[in-house]
Amino acid sequence: MLASRSLGTDLVYSEKQTLFRFSALYILLSIIIVSAFSFMYYELQRDLMLQEKKSLLQEYAKELIQDLKHLHINFDKSQVYPRNENYTSAIFDSSQKLIFSTSSTKTKLDKILYLEDGVIHLVSIPESYYLGAKYVIVTMLDDRVWFRETIESIIIFAINLFTIMFIIGYFLLHLFLKPMKDAISLLDRFIKDTTHELNTPVSTIVANIEMIDKSLLDEKLLKKINRIDIGAKTISNIYQDLTYITLGNKIISRNEDLDVKQLIIQRIEYFKSLANAKRVTLSLNLVKNTTLFIDKNKFSKLIDNLISNAIKYNKIYGTISISVSEKSIVVEDSGIGIAKENISKLQDRYTRFNKSSGGFGIGLNIVATIAKEFDLKIDISSQIKIGTKVTISW
Amino acid sequence: MVKKVLLSLLLVLGVQANIYEKNCVKCHEKLPVSIDKYFYKYLLIYSSQNDMKHAIINYLKVPIKETTVMSDSFISRFGVKKMTTLNEKELQEAVEFYWQRYKVFGKLE
Repeated sequence: MLASRSLGTDLVYSEKQTLFRFSALYILLSIIIVSAFSFMYYELQRDLMLQEKKSLLQEYAKELIQDLKHLHINFDKSQVYPRNENYTSAIFDSSQKLIFSTSSTKTKLDKILYLEDGVIHLVSIPESYYLGAKYVIVTMLDDRVWFRETIESIIIFAINLFTIMFIIGYFLLHLFLKPMKDAISLLDRFIKDTTHELNTPVSTIVANIEMIDKSLLDEKLLKKINRIDIGAKTISNIYQDLTYITLGNKIISRNEDLDVKQLIIQRIEYFKSLANAKRVTLSLNLVKNTTLFIDKNKFSKLIDNLISNAIKYNKIYGTISISVSEKSIVVEDSGIGIAKENISKLQDRYTRFNKSSGGFGIGLNIVATIAKEFDLKIDISSQIKIGTKVTISW
Repeated sequence: MVKKVLLSLLLVLGVQANIYEKNCVKCHEKLPVSIDKYFYKYLLIYSSQNDMKHAIINYLKVPIKETTVMSDSFISRFGVKKMTTLNEKELQEAVEFYWQRYKVFGKLE
């Protein structure tokens, strides 16, 4: 959990993803269980209700059949169909053709007792077909008391079951996430310890190289010192990037009026040895003295990443042009370029489209994070084998 | 066109009535049980129009004790009727008229 917070989006994302998948599966499973039990309970309650009403309906049917018998015998004297306020009825002949009905509901003759559209139906077959009625259907309105009671029971059951499932799920989730949290925590501690242990020796190397009076050195030794300088600065950059990524938003910004021109000159000087190693020419076009109210370290990190990328992905004997205007900084290189479809993905963490150079793919993510914090706009345009132009404007 | 249809229908009904009156009512008038009672006896057993008509025609063609709907005492007293002299078409028309006259459909209130 510690690392997931301190390392920014990715670990939180993976944790969230696991959490989301587990929760979705668990909720789905809970819904299936609740639905299945609810359905079975509902069916059972409905059948119970129907069985309770069956005897009453059978009484009504018996009464109706008696009335039909009477009407059948006296059909030449009366044709008034028997009616009762407690129920409605219908009679069908053996070909299932309706003879007469006092009910407005649709009737099925293939079932004996059923509930349809809020009406309970009982289908009886009398011993003799009075008035030709083979099927005598007696129907009565369902008072829906059982339905309300059943729904109430289902809701209470569902709430209780969901609560129990939620409690079990909560503990299960903790149980499942524990190994992942432990691994992340271990990784977190490892990164922090490693970066911390790296800082002191790397800073010592860089500081001591800077203190060497290079004019006194012979050419052979100067070359060796330069190589050490490049190596140390590369490690220093990685360290700083990792520190920034690890600490992330915890670094409190100390904004100040920053002389952009001065900072860029400093950073170019810092990267000179790296650029020289690749025979890359750095040209600076400073239009005006520009001041920004910004955190020096963070803005320096942003510039470092842009210059570092421009060197890293440049060709031998390539060029880097840095222009500073009142409202923007433009870093343009003559490097390998980036395909159009990949430009939008550049600011994603761990995104790398060229594996020939080292790196973690975190540089532009750091640039994007810093730019977002200080409301700076990033614009990237690139052409394959021609170069990339990064504009930071404010 | 409507007139023609109505006239044809009346003609058919007239023919059916004629066969029914001449061949069925004529004999049944002599019996103490009115002809409609036989209809309701059949209805009680056969229920649907098709089954009932089929049973009546079969009985008229082959009148035997085993297929009668009347009680044993009735048969003992009045015996089984004579075999019909009507052909199939006439039988169908007479029974259709009989059904239309005494059917329950459309009469219940």
